[in-house]
Amino acid sequence: CTKNFELYNSDNTGINPDDLKGDFNDVGVFLTRAQRSIINFSDGGDPNSYQLQQNLNADCYSGYFMSPNPFNGGQNNLSYSLISGWNGEPFKVGYLNIMSSVNRLRTNGVNTSYPAVWGIAQVLQVAGMSRITDIYGPIPYSQVGTSKSAIPYDSQEDVYKRFFLELDSANINLRNQINHVTDSLPFDFAKFDLVYDGDFTRWLQFSNSLRLRLAMHIVKAAPALAKEQAEKAMDPANGGTITSNTGNMKVKVAGSGFSNPLVFIALNWADIRIGASIQSYMTGYADPRISKYFDMSTDTTFPSRYQGIRIGSVGGNAAKGDYTGYSNLDVTGSNPSFTLTTPTQIMTAAEVYFLRAEAALRGWANAGGSVQTLYEQGINTSMEQWNVNAGTYVSDNTHKPAGFTDPKNSAANAPAPSEITVKWDDGALEAVKMERIITQKWIAMFPEGQEAWTEFRRTGYPKLFPVVNNFSGGVINSATQIRRIPFPQNEYNTNNPEVQKAITLLNGPDNGATRVWWDVQ
Amino acid sequence: RSYSQSVTITGKHLALYDIFNSISKQTGYEFVYDEKMLNGTGTIDINLKGASIAAVLDNCLKNKPLSYTITDKIIVIRPRAARKEAAVTAEQPAAQVEGTVVDGAGQPLPNVAIQVKGTTRGVLTDAKGHFSIQVESTDVLVFNYVGYDKKEVPVGTQTSLQIVLQESNKQLNTVVVTALGLKRSEKSITYATQQVSGVELTKAKDPNLMNTLNGKVAGLNISSSSSGVGGSAKVILRGAKSGLGSNQALYVIDGVPMNNSLTSQPNSSYGGSSSYDGGDPISNLNPDDIESVSVLKGASAAALYGSQGANGVVLVTTKSGKAGRTIVNFSSSLTLNTVAYKPEFQNSYGQSTATSTQSWGSKLAGGAQDNLGSFFQTGNNLTNSISLSGGTDKMQTYFSYANTSAKGIEPKNKLSRNNISFKETGHFLNDKLTAEADVNYITQTIDNTPLSGFYFNPLTGLYLFPRGKDLAPYKNGFEVFDPARRLMTQNWAFNEDIQQNPWWIVNRNQNSLDRNRLLLNASLKYEVNKWLNIQGRGSIDRINDVYDQKVYAGTVTTLSPANGVYIYSNTTTSQQYGDVLANFNIPIGDKIRITGVLGGSIRDVITKGDKYNSGQEGLNIPNIFVLQNFKAINPLNTGTLQENHSQVQSVFGSANISYKDWAYLDLTARNDWASNLAFTPSGSYFYPSVGLNVILSSVAKLPEFISFAKVRGSFAQVGNSPLAYQSNPAVYTFSAGGGFSINPSAPFTDLKPEKTNSLEFGTEWRFFDNRLSADVTYYKTNTKNQTLQIRAPQGSFYDNFFINAGNIQNQGVEAVVRYDVLRDGKLKWNTGLNFATNQNRIKELAPNAPEFTLSGASGSNYVSKFKVGGSFGDIYGTVLQRDAQGRVMIDANGNPIKQGGDFVYLGNSNTRWQLGWNNNLEYKDFTLSFLIDGKFGGKVMSITQSVMDQYGVSKATGDARDAGGVAVNGVDPNGNAVSMVDAQKWYSSVGGREAASGEYIYSATTVRLREVALGYTIPVKGTSFIRAMKLSLTGRNLLYFSKKAPFDPELTMSTANGLSGVDIFMPPATRNYGLTLNATF
Repeated sequence: CTKNFELYNSDNTGINPDDLKGDFNDVGVFLTRAQRSIINFSDGGDPNSYQLQQNLNADCYSGYFMSPNPFNGGQNNLSYSLISGWNGEPFKVGYLNIMSSVNRLRTNGVNTSYPAVWGIAQVLQVAGMSRITDIYGPIPYSQVGTSKSAIPYDSQEDVYKRFFLELDSANINLRNQINHVTDSLPFDFAKFDLVYDGDFTRWLQFSNSLRLRLAMHIVKAAPALAKEQAEKAMDPANGGTITSNTGNMKVKVAGSGFSNPLVFIALNWADIRIGASIQSYMTGYADPRISKYFDMSTDTTFPSRYQGIRIGSVGGNAAKGDYTGYSNLDVTGSNPSFTLTTPTQIMTAAEVYFLRAEAALRGWANAGGSVQTLYEQGINTSMEQWNVNAGTYVSDNTHKPAGFTDPKNSAANAPAPSEITVKWDDGALEAVKMERIITQKWIAMFPEGQEAWTEFRRTGYPKLFPVVNNFSGGVINSATQIRRIPFPQNEYNTNNPEVQKAITLLNGPDNGATRVWWDVQ
Repeated sequence: RSYSQSVTITGKHLALYDIFNSISKQTGYEFVYDEKMLNGTGTIDINLKGASIAAVLDNCLKNKPLSYTITDKIIVIRPRAARKEAAVTAEQPAAQVEGTVVDGAGQPLPNVAIQVKGTTRGVLTDAKGHFSIQVESTDVLVFNYVGYDKKEVPVGTQTSLQIVLQESNKQLNTVVVTALGLKRSEKSITYATQQVSGVELTKAKDPNLMNTLNGKVAGLNISSSSSGVGGSAKVILRGAKSGLGSNQALYVIDGVPMNNSLTSQPNSSYGGSSSYDGGDPISNLNPDDIESVSVLKGASAAALYGSQGANGVVLVTTKSGKAGRTIVNFSSSLTLNTVAYKPEFQNSYGQSTATSTQSWGSKLAGGAQDNLGSFFQTGNNLTNSISLSGGTDKMQTYFSYANTSAKGIEPKNKLSRNNISFKETGHFLNDKLTAEADVNYITQTIDNTPLSGFYFNPLTGLYLFPRGKDLAPYKNGFEVFDPARRLMTQNWAFNEDIQQNPWWIVNRNQNSLDRNRLLLNASLKYEVNKWLNIQGRGSIDRINDVYDQKVYAGTVTTLSPANGVYIYSNTTTSQQYGDVLANFNIPIGDKIRITGVLGGSIRDVITKGDKYNSGQEGLNIPNIFVLQNFKAINPLNTGTLQENHSQVQSVFGSANISYKDWAYLDLTARNDWASNLAFTPSGSYFYPSVGLNVILSSVAKLPEFISFAKVRGSFAQVGNSPLAYQSNPAVYTFSAGGGFSINPSAPFTDLKPEKTNSLEFGTEWRFFDNRLSADVTYYKTNTKNQTLQIRAPQGSFYDNFFINAGNIQNQGVEAVVRYDVLRDGKLKWNTGLNFATNQNRIKELAPNAPEFTLSGASGSNYVSKFKVGGSFGDIYGTVLQRDAQGRVMIDANGNPIKQGGDFVYLGNSNTRWQLGWNNNLEYKDFTLSFLIDGKFGGKVMSITQSVMDQYGVSKATGDARDAGGVAVNGVDPNGNAVSMVDAQKWYSSVGGREAASGEYIYSATTVRLREVALGYTIPVKGTSFIRAMKLSLTGRNLLYFSKKAPFDPELTMSTANGLSGVDIFMPPATRNYGLTLNATF
């Protein structure tokens, strides 16, 4: 008698699709999961995923952070000895968390039943997957989910073009909802919205801001497309971009069991500390945001101060304990900026002002102001975001980035990376103007390292300290710094023919020195 | 009892052997005898028609020095004891001698034939093993008992004798217990088996009885867990076969398969809190309850057990009460355990700086002290057991109670166990119906199981502690008052995730496992007629485990939030088993007999329970360890457990066809229906086996010195179902805060059952009157259609999916040789060699999955991989980067460079071959046995050593500094040769958690003095209240003749498939000394 065998062989702790229909969980669950994966909350687990998704690569390559932990004896991604086990995590999160969640929404009919929700899902997919292509270059995109064993890659150019199309579709769906062309939702969407509490207008503005960001990424590789998309993004007729801090794209840490992964790593694991570059700029500028960003050092062997760690300097004879007393994120004190429940920041109004400043600099339409105005608005919006008094910061013509000294390792000492000051100068060379905009944008985007690394690669700014130790065996040039992360080992193991084709799309060997499509020298 | 089966035998000059065979064929009774007893017994003329067995036997044995007894359809032939009332002769004996005859375990032996040498005078011992006989001082008494070595004792002036008979090395034509508990004569078996008596298990006790089998059975590879007292053992027969499934042998207790599901085993370098080892279910048994263990090595032996039998079977027969013998046995044993080796430290260089965790500082003025001595303690194991057995012809009773109390070598690691067992056997309806039932209840508590790996392990802090610093203050004051929190917190100088104060861990990161186990068996057997009996059996085995771990506030922040962590789980695993068997025994004509069984069984295993872990959210109030104090319930680590419900229903049959008692053909067939195959096209699977053996010595005329020769061969196929839920994984699972995760495993709808094909050939030879024997087996198994979980390209939206693929091959040779070096003198010595070699090869995996990882990638440069062309237990890691000439590349700063990219193959942890040498010596009342065994070949990795090197505490780092650096064949970036690298630079790069692990690979070859036991049978007066007493001194793992790795390669962090051959701060193996007193009343 085997009639109960199907019952016995069903996991009592699992959930089946039908179980989720009630209360529209089959919509909301996947939407929140996509939101929580762009910066990965690990479904509420330890942030091992975020650590490899972003923290031990882009967050450090961007100059914001450095790990005090001498992983692999100091020979790891932070000293350009790329560990294959580390390189696959952003990829994995992109497909298994972001795209698969969005795919489930489509399977569940959300694209036809609730187009505005589908629009948000598409925006989230573009926001998430644009980071993935910016890391690797070509990625599987148009044909994901079609097979269990062979998934073709698309060139980065094709992927970007598809992003813009998807944002077009999302815009229509969002505007139809805002303008009541489509029916209002039969459920309370706000409870599934960890970003804008169900406000479609602010989603639309984020969507446009994201288009502007992506357009700017490709300005060297496809100038005409970049201009077209940027102008479309900034066109007020399309709903406008983020203009105030209330529109910042930040994912709330909601629900017990979740925590801000970056803060968790800094606080509970002591695996991340402030990088030398950001410390050098902010101490040099006497930036009023510094106390909101960082704690002072606590190491008893040197006086308490803002003290970063230079990338690629921890290793050899160093132990983790030698560096954990260097400056942390601002996690201590009575009102720390960073707690385990601080929302994770993906895009801010300040960044949008700086993007518009660059658009204005390029003479594009719809920037909505002069370069200087937008530049200063960017700084002031950031000061406002961190609730500090800007004082005379925007008119400071004297403070410059400081040199760097490591009290424990003189090999890491370095002179100031740049001479750039804060005050806008319309008469400066174009390159200086670019450096000024991007440097300030970089300070304002803290701690979002992924976009900061992308912009560093695109523009060369801000000027960042190179790695102290380079264990790439001559592959990656310390001066030009790392340009991408190699394809995951798992792709070689499971999708080999396709990843081989992807390498031809890459136009270079699959290593950290090869430039992605938009990264034109 | 009357045996009225009629037998017809006629003929002239018939050998006794032929008569026995004929009786056996006609009645289904089996004969058990030592063939050499028949030598010189002559022939018989006989003409009996329709006579009873007894009449035939009486007739043929009338003038022979042989007698018989019949029990349970087995006829035992033994040398005749002379009548008790011997004829009064002229030489009236001078004195009366009385005494007791006991076996090696001190159990009295009834019905032992005692004969005055050269006469026909003799007596039998009574039920209590007692005898008395009139003898002269010049007489020699000969003690003879089937299955035991004959013993001759000159009387001399003694009036009271205490005789110990040693069990012979099973060279006789004995009965062995085979599949489903069926008894068969050994010579009819078509596959390799090896039997070990209960005495071997109790000689030198271990809290896990499987550990005492180590080295005693060819082809049985036992690795004990490093998890302290009461830990599990990994028991592999003939090599590992399955990538995802269990590779452990199946245990069968009195014919019923035992649920031997593993307790939670670590699967990463961190080890840590989620895994605890409370011992596998077999380890809970009381060794004193075990009568014998027989190991069926190959799949053929196990075909009838179905799936689980593919890995071989360990059959355990427990003791029962015996009619007419009332025996009380008391045994008490104490074992002391000390650390068998310690890591080697340097004693010359101190801490780098006052706050540094490392010891790369200047020369120490006074040297460094031994900090380990203050931590490790002498472990012990005190076991007291009592058993009572007795009964009448109709009812037999066995009762036992044992208490085990043990202490590990790490402080606070304790085990306490109580075993109660009660067995009753009754015979009804003219003895046609036999009912048997037994109850076993076991309670066990294990406190503070040592956790290996980086986390929650006191040994990391202990070993890495800076040299030259005094650890004592941290022992006495492992916690200090924190005025800012008004509570006691950890006192430790360093803040690193991998180390804490060792005493803080054992006192404030406590874990505890409480086990309650009830094992019930019942059986009814009815003799329908002379050729058929029907038996039904049922068994319930219910194991309840309650585990908790209390992590106090003050624990390092990587492992615990500020207020501490509480982990609690409550799990119950229940197995219900039932079967119905029809045993038949049908003679067809004179020459052919068919015995066999037809039956059906059902086995149902389900685990229920729940787990609670306060996780990263932690507790509200520090150090209150109750569930109410959880800050949040996070479904990632708290919730209802998967039930893993599996049911297998089976029908099976076997037939053993014998021809003239010299050729035997074995056929078996089984069909299983498994619930784990629901949702797949194949809900059931069929598997057959065939075996043939020929007793050459009965067929052909062999030279005189060959006493016995047999060749055998068999082929078997064993099917195996996949794990529960693989065909039907949940689509979504719960995650934190009301979230859900999408299961990254694709459902496996075209799943097929796994098949193992197993082929074996063997031969047994005995020479010189059975004095020398050899048994050699060659086997080859191929496991195909394995359920493998392979990684998917993630663009498929799955992280992994299941496939049926692969071909894992194990082939090898096993050999057992025994020799009675001294047999007839006062000093007796028999010696035996067990040899086994196994070669494991992964011949195929799936086309799109050439490899997958078993364990270990995270946190260390160690990975155990499964790859085509490789074998089970392959170790991969990182090596130093070398130039074309093989020179180590040294960077501009003088640090060696590690090779990036994927891990490379470093070695395989499997033993290539092993040899055990067992010796038993006996002189008067003394017995001495010792076992030396060697495991040769294989490679292991020590991450303990690599981390100690990085911290500058190891002897290697001190020696290098003394020598001015590490001598290398290196090259700098400019191409110049480098011959010396600064010690600190070298070990900081090469050592550590993520070491150049290729530098930490060691030969696993180990030769050891495994076991020594010295026994003394204390003479007791025949009239004494105590009937027998025996005292033994034992030692286990006393001496390593050769050990190349810095740890004992036999220890394993995990008894599951992963983490084999890697040491990550495992507690050292122990050297054990024991004293056992055994008394029979």
